[in-house]
Amino acid sequence: MKKSVSFVMAALMAASLATTGSMTVLADGDVSITVFNSKMEIQTQLEEAAAEYSEETGVNVEVYYSSDTVTAHMATRYASNDPYTLSMVDAKDIYSLAEEHAVDLSDQDWVKDTTQAISIGDKVYGFPVCIEARGIIYNADAIKNITGEDFDPSKYQTLDSFKELLDQLVAGGMESPTGIMKEDWSLAAHYLGEVFEEQDDTDAYLAALQAGEGDLINNEKFNSLMDTFDVLMEYNYAKDSAIAAEREVTEQKLAEGEIAFMFGGNWDWAVINAYDYTENMGMMPVPQNTDDGTNTKLVGGGSKFFFIDNSDVTTDEQRQAAKDFLNWLVYDEAGQDLIVNKCALVPAYSNITLPVADPLGASVKEFTDADMLIPNYNYMPDDEYSILGASMQKYLAGQIDRAGFAGEIEDYWKTATLVEH
Amino acid sequence: MKKNTTSYKVKQYLMFAGPATILFCAVVILPFVYGLYLTFTSWDGISTTKPFVGISNYIAAFQDTAYWQAMGRTVIYSVISVILVNIVAFLLAYMVTSGIKGQNFFRAGFFVPNLIGGIVLGYVWKFVFNRALVAIGQSLSIGALSTSWLATTSGAMFCLILVSVWQYAGYMMLIYVAGFMSVSKSLMEAAQIDGCTQSQATINVTIPLMRSSFVQCLFLTITRCFMVYDVNLSLTKGEPFNSSVMAAMHVYNQAFTYKNYGTGQAEALILFVVCAIVGVTQVYIGKKGEVAA
Amino acid sequence: MTDNAKAARKKKISHAIMMVILIIAFIAFVFPFILVVINVFKTKGDINSAPLSLIGSHGFTLENFPNAIKKMNFWNSFKNSLIVTICSTVFTLLFASMAAFVIVRNKWKACALLFSGMIASMVIPFQVLMVPLVSLYGGIFQVLNSRVTLILMHIGFSLSMATFMFHGAIVTNIPLELEEAALIDGCSRWKTFWSVVFPLLKPTIATVAVIDAMAFWNDYLLPSLVLKRKELYTIPIATQIFYGSYSTDIGLILAALLLAMLPILILYIFLQRYIIEGVTSGAVKG
Repeated sequence: MKKSVSFVMAALMAASLATTGSMTVLADGDVSITVFNSKMEIQTQLEEAAAEYSEETGVNVEVYYSSDTVTAHMATRYASNDPYTLSMVDAKDIYSLAEEHAVDLSDQDWVKDTTQAISIGDKVYGFPVCIEARGIIYNADAIKNITGEDFDPSKYQTLDSFKELLDQLVAGGMESPTGIMKEDWSLAAHYLGEVFEEQDDTDAYLAALQAGEGDLINNEKFNSLMDTFDVLMEYNYAKDSAIAAEREVTEQKLAEGEIAFMFGGNWDWAVINAYDYTENMGMMPVPQNTDDGTNTKLVGGGSKFFFIDNSDVTTDEQRQAAKDFLNWLVYDEAGQDLIVNKCALVPAYSNITLPVADPLGASVKEFTDADMLIPNYNYMPDDEYSILGASMQKYLAGQIDRAGFAGEIEDYWKTATLVEH
Repeated sequence: MKKNTTSYKVKQYLMFAGPATILFCAVVILPFVYGLYLTFTSWDGISTTKPFVGISNYIAAFQDTAYWQAMGRTVIYSVISVILVNIVAFLLAYMVTSGIKGQNFFRAGFFVPNLIGGIVLGYVWKFVFNRALVAIGQSLSIGALSTSWLATTSGAMFCLILVSVWQYAGYMMLIYVAGFMSVSKSLMEAAQIDGCTQSQATINVTIPLMRSSFVQCLFLTITRCFMVYDVNLSLTKGEPFNSSVMAAMHVYNQAFTYKNYGTGQAEALILFVVCAIVGVTQVYIGKKGEVAA
Repeated sequence: MTDNAKAARKKKISHAIMMVILIIAFIAFVFPFILVVINVFKTKGDINSAPLSLIGSHGFTLENFPNAIKKMNFWNSFKNSLIVTICSTVFTLLFASMAAFVIVRNKWKACALLFSGMIASMVIPFQVLMVPLVSLYGGIFQVLNSRVTLILMHIGFSLSMATFMFHGAIVTNIPLELEEAALIDGCSRWKTFWSVVFPLLKPTIATVAVIDAMAFWNDYLLPSLVLKRKELYTIPIATQIFYGSYSTDIGLILAALLLAMLPILILYIFLQRYIIEGVTSGAVKG
């Protein structure tokens, strides 16, 4: 009995402990905003910058990150009626969320300084955080070590020339010069995505696919890009178990020059820079035997978008503070420094002239400034990357051939619906 | 004090089971009922409107072939895992209660996997399968090890089962150990005096008395396996080619990734019904013949 | 005598065989941990390129620990986890054992209803409850973002299994005669429960305590839904910063894993003694 009494006592004491210190109360007049960040690699930088920003302006900014998918996280936050003041989401989410939950930002100064903001109708909802683009990442040092010459990516825009170079690398002792990420988002959303994005009229072509009239196996872009993919597969360092290749390992090999090429995007820098990397890296268009010009361009555009919550939970002061924060990112020196230098992102704003910090971003910036970007197609169905990713993994593993792959893609599109836009 | 009056019963019930009843209803039953309602709407998970659509989510769920494939896979995975987990756990429990040297040390050791949460556990094992085993395989040139098991359909399933056995065997062992220890020594001794060998005594005396341990362990493993999610997500993520997507993962994707919340919720309810039928039947059969002390 | 010697020899042999099996099994069970311990002292690059070597080419490093501690605000998260885990575990034990007692000893309809409801609820996938739960308690009652809410929810969710386990233990291990004797001595049911039944449940209490404490300590999903302010974060939510949807920082994950594991390991080693003691002292009936 005594024991159980002391047990209960301990429980009560513990409970009283639990109630203390659960909320910090803000002094009157203080504005506090919450920011949701969905780019893990910049979380630390954002937190530090937010602390400085808070000290400077008196507006308390707290930055949150979640490892859940953006959609699931947003769903639970809205379900619990506790949204962030400012949320960073993907382009697709803006289309599905904004009309109901976001504030119109068309009166903001930065709108005129970017071409990447997302508008629906005549309202601007999404503030682009950065520009990201896809292509082949190369390690120039690794290539130079074998060929003896400085690597000039513009010489290798056709698949034939690219393949010659790969053969030369193999002959020079680099057993397998390429790497392929087996992740479904990389295969289906990024690589296969280019098949659709590089069509003359993406909307029309996808409509044809939905109607069952796409005739993918005879499509020029599909075949051209798959020819290149076949070459990447042939020289893949993980050829024998291509679908067990780990992204971290592939990127390490690329960073340290064990392989020379990998399909990816400038976001890969955040992974590469954890290893013994060389600065002599960059991005080039996916080589193709084509004359439609797509082999001279990267594919990409605005990536990750902030929107401001319009619900009753957020006060007008908080909304204003969030707008101020966005303006600070674009126009204040410290904000620009955060985006470009600390986070190593490619700015989406023409007024930001700071040189981009990392070599992949520098390539992207170059292509952007030269207007050599094929825009992202942001209206893919939500399950596209997962279902077609699985098909493409089968192709990568050699379990289906190109005709079979084309067949699965066509079957998928017959029942797929695009995001409304 | 009269023991048959209603007020006595109510008082007794509230005194003992009141807090449990209230919390259970508030946290489980209420949200469950609300969730049930949501399956009749075409909510996308985030919009403020929840249009009522009748049973169309259930029709969609029944027509979702990927879901039923995942369900079939889950059944296969569960059957194999449940059997293996319980065999391993029971044998371990038997050995660590046999009075062997260092049995406490072993008990602690076998339980260690449970100290890590499912997500982390998956990452650690992925590391083992993709890197460590491959590194061993390559340096010793063992063919079967030199490529990752996670790269093939059957390999990924095998890995999931292996990790589940590893994860749950120690846990279930603990329950079996408690069962072994609650069968008093004198009963065993009596059996041995009567001429039983130790293994005979175990089979004829101990095991029947441990029925409730078996019921508990089977129920726990069945339900856990049917609802496997964390390890599935972090170990295979459904790869390769979505061939290792289990039912719970499909449900999650359907609701949040593909934004068909209502359909996902309906599919989750179907999963619940399947688990409930299997689990409750098993408990019912098991409890029916339970030996009371 | 020869029979005894024979039996002793047989026992010796069977113990030797068991020892071998146990050691092999033990190695298999701790192998991943050995890997964790080996790799936590390496840089990220070395973990990738040489997961098995004892020391990587960049040498021995401790930096994963301070990095992890700083990034996840370890001590604050540790405190939060400790409070939540202890409170949730203690109340789960109390409420579940009480409920199990009344359920086992009475054939009332309410008891049967509660128990079958609990059993059925154990097979509800958490994803089913996730959004409705936050809609109700966040959207309508506005009680999220508090430790008390989390603790109550933890208790609510774990009651089913705990009651189920106490139910089994009371049915099989608690002799009815003991209770009856206490009742005849003039004890109330309440007092009988605390002075006779509860102490006899020690092995089950220890088991449930370990299992639940661990589940609470490691739980990610529920706390991530309930606690949204950083100062309330528990360890698993704090470590999510190491998991990107596209890449993971394995060195930091391993360090965080070791840091998070230690307290629960200590609890287990401590309670393990009780599991054994409890049974022997509780064996009244032969």
